[in-house]
Amino acid sequence: MKKAWLNLAALAALALILGAAGQWANEYQVRLLNNMAIYITLAVGYNLINGVCGQLHLGPNAFITLGAYTAALLTLTPPEKAQLFFLTPLQWPLSEISLPFPLALLAGGVVAACFGVITGFPVFRVRGDYLAIITLGFGEVVRVLANNLQGLTNGPMGLKGLYPYTNLWWSWGVAAAAVVLVISLVNSSYGRAMRAIREDETAARAMGIDSFRLLMLAYVLSAFIFGVGGGLLAHLITTISPSLFTFFLTFNLLIIIVVGGLGSTTGAVMAAAVFTMAGEWLRVVEEPAVIGGINIPGVPGLRMVIFSLALLLAILFFRRGLLGRREFSWDACGRFLARLRNLKLET
Amino acid sequence: MVGNFLLFLTAILIPATPAGAAEKGVKIGLYLPMTGAAAAMGQMVYEGVLVAYKLEPRILGQKVELALADTRSDKIDAANAVSRLIEKDKVAAIIGEVISSDTLAGAPIAERAKIPNISPTATNPLVTQGRKYAFRACFVDDLQGRVAARFARDTLKARRAAVLIDQAQDYCVGLASFFMEEFKRRGGEIVSVNYIQSGDQDFTAQISVFKGKNPELIYAPNYYAESALLARQLQDLGMKTPILTGDGAQVPELLSIGGPAVEGMYFTAHFHREGVATEIGKKFVKAYESAYNKELDAFAALGGECYFLVAEAIKQAGSLDGGKIAQALEGIRDFPGITGIITMGKDHNPIKLVMVLKVEKGKFAYQTTIKP
Repeated sequence: MKKAWLNLAALAALALILGAAGQWANEYQVRLLNNMAIYITLAVGYNLINGVCGQLHLGPNAFITLGAYTAALLTLTPPEKAQLFFLTPLQWPLSEISLPFPLALLAGGVVAACFGVITGFPVFRVRGDYLAIITLGFGEVVRVLANNLQGLTNGPMGLKGLYPYTNLWWSWGVAAAAVVLVISLVNSSYGRAMRAIREDETAARAMGIDSFRLLMLAYVLSAFIFGVGGGLLAHLITTISPSLFTFFLTFNLLIIIVVGGLGSTTGAVMAAAVFTMAGEWLRVVEEPAVIGGINIPGVPGLRMVIFSLALLLAILFFRRGLLGRREFSWDACGRFLARLRNLKLET
Repeated sequence: MVGNFLLFLTAILIPATPAGAAEKGVKIGLYLPMTGAAAAMGQMVYEGVLVAYKLEPRILGQKVELALADTRSDKIDAANAVSRLIEKDKVAAIIGEVISSDTLAGAPIAERAKIPNISPTATNPLVTQGRKYAFRACFVDDLQGRVAARFARDTLKARRAAVLIDQAQDYCVGLASFFMEEFKRRGGEIVSVNYIQSGDQDFTAQISVFKGKNPELIYAPNYYAESALLARQLQDLGMKTPILTGDGAQVPELLSIGGPAVEGMYFTAHFHREGVATEIGKKFVKAYESAYNKELDAFAALGGECYFLVAEAIKQAGSLDGGKIAQALEGIRDFPGITGIITMGKDHNPIKLVMVLKVEKGKFAYQTTIKP
């Protein structure tokens, strides 16, 4: 009961911070907060299938693409679409539809989830490396389709001039919902069964766990989250094209969940937050600086070098990521505080 | 890596602004792909801007400060970079990006903040369309494709053209579609349209189709690697049809990959050092070539052009107010720049001459200039 209050208090604090940020933060800070929330959403979804269920799924970029394109095509108005698709006109029903942002986001999630259901059958016939290769393949297939189905996606020219609907409330609202959803799923009997599959699928099946159904559930749910996240991303940067959704997007998410600790939802949240902020903080090293009277010119690209070094160190010294498989919890916090207090008393 | 090292060297050679100087200074932001897929282009543009800055380091009697933010050739980072330049560095104007789709991620942010921004090489019409603060220093796909069609019909007297499009690049798709429209309007015939993808190595299937149609010209407005490979394979298959391509071909790699096969290839271009007629252009060419010890290319020229245009606009506006600078940029008429005499046209696209170059004896040779 006490924990529920603490959780609510944390959410209220988040809302307060968002309200304050909306009031006083400049556009740069707001943009970073939005980026952070979207990466949190995507990382939490990815961690469900990859960390909790232990299936090396390498195709989130496919679902993010689907969600982004679906949401973008639905929020654009018919005249805007006619202007964008000047080479090959957009297919009929889509060219006339225009939906409000929340419905478009939802539709993005649903389309991604449907694609998840369809691809889930072939994907879960195999495990391990083979599963990784199949999902990687689906990721590439979707991107290549986006490049070539000009009457649907406008091909390599992409969609431009989307209205920037994504604000702090939308991005953080979705992020909070995704975190709550995934955490409650992981803590339920479903979640325990998923973890059992991760540890030893044969043993789990012997205990009567229907592994296909559970993996499918996690896969489709993560697909939905990717879809919604993709819609948010599209309406944050206001322009999308297939080149945005390469394997590197998946790779970034993989880095986040590995650094956060595979299987730890709160770890994924923390790593996503650090990942998005670090990219910007480290810009400092690329700027010219004067230290002790010596001019140090900025070196573009240095930030990625430092980033990879940090990653290397994190993997070397925190073999299982920052949090391992543990989760952040109020109890652990309490124990930590108690230990601090004891230390003080002893000295 | 070599490019990075060169940048590092030039950055040392250029006197850094003393920190905490008393005068306020004019801050100009740059968001360029210094790393990632488009790094080569971003670095060339940066070199151009640095040279132009050295030639004109003071505007309105104040010292200019350049703030560079890397975009990693990525949309999300491009948007972050623009936000950062505006909020943290408080720049008066922004130069960038190099790639159209990344510029489209940055331009709306600058538009909301009312900061004038000018792209050296983003050729997609949508970059500036309907925006008050977005400009460009290059001509658009529309203009380049149409001029290529005119050159093909009027100068090369081609009636039957085959088109090869890299469909993974919006730049190539745009050029080709405007070329085809204009070519047909001028009484030409498009006998075959074939598609490739960036990174493809083998075009024999497409060439075989072309061979059967017997075209008098192949229009292949793709990047240098594809163009060079196309020329080699055409030669191998015994086709002597001339190739016409776009400004993406104007890099030394075209010659090193294509070798003798690219001899006689035509392309439309923004710039050729022999076509430089203005005084500032000549000064720029000299300064660039003595600083970097290599021939000035179109990207660096357009980078320098952006700097001079911004400097001119700030001087005319007489203030650092975004609205006033944008107004001055909009009103630029007959400005003698590096790549020609520039007049800012409607939709903030410069009206300037298009050059046609030809590969001759392993060099880019100036052929002719066409008025749009």
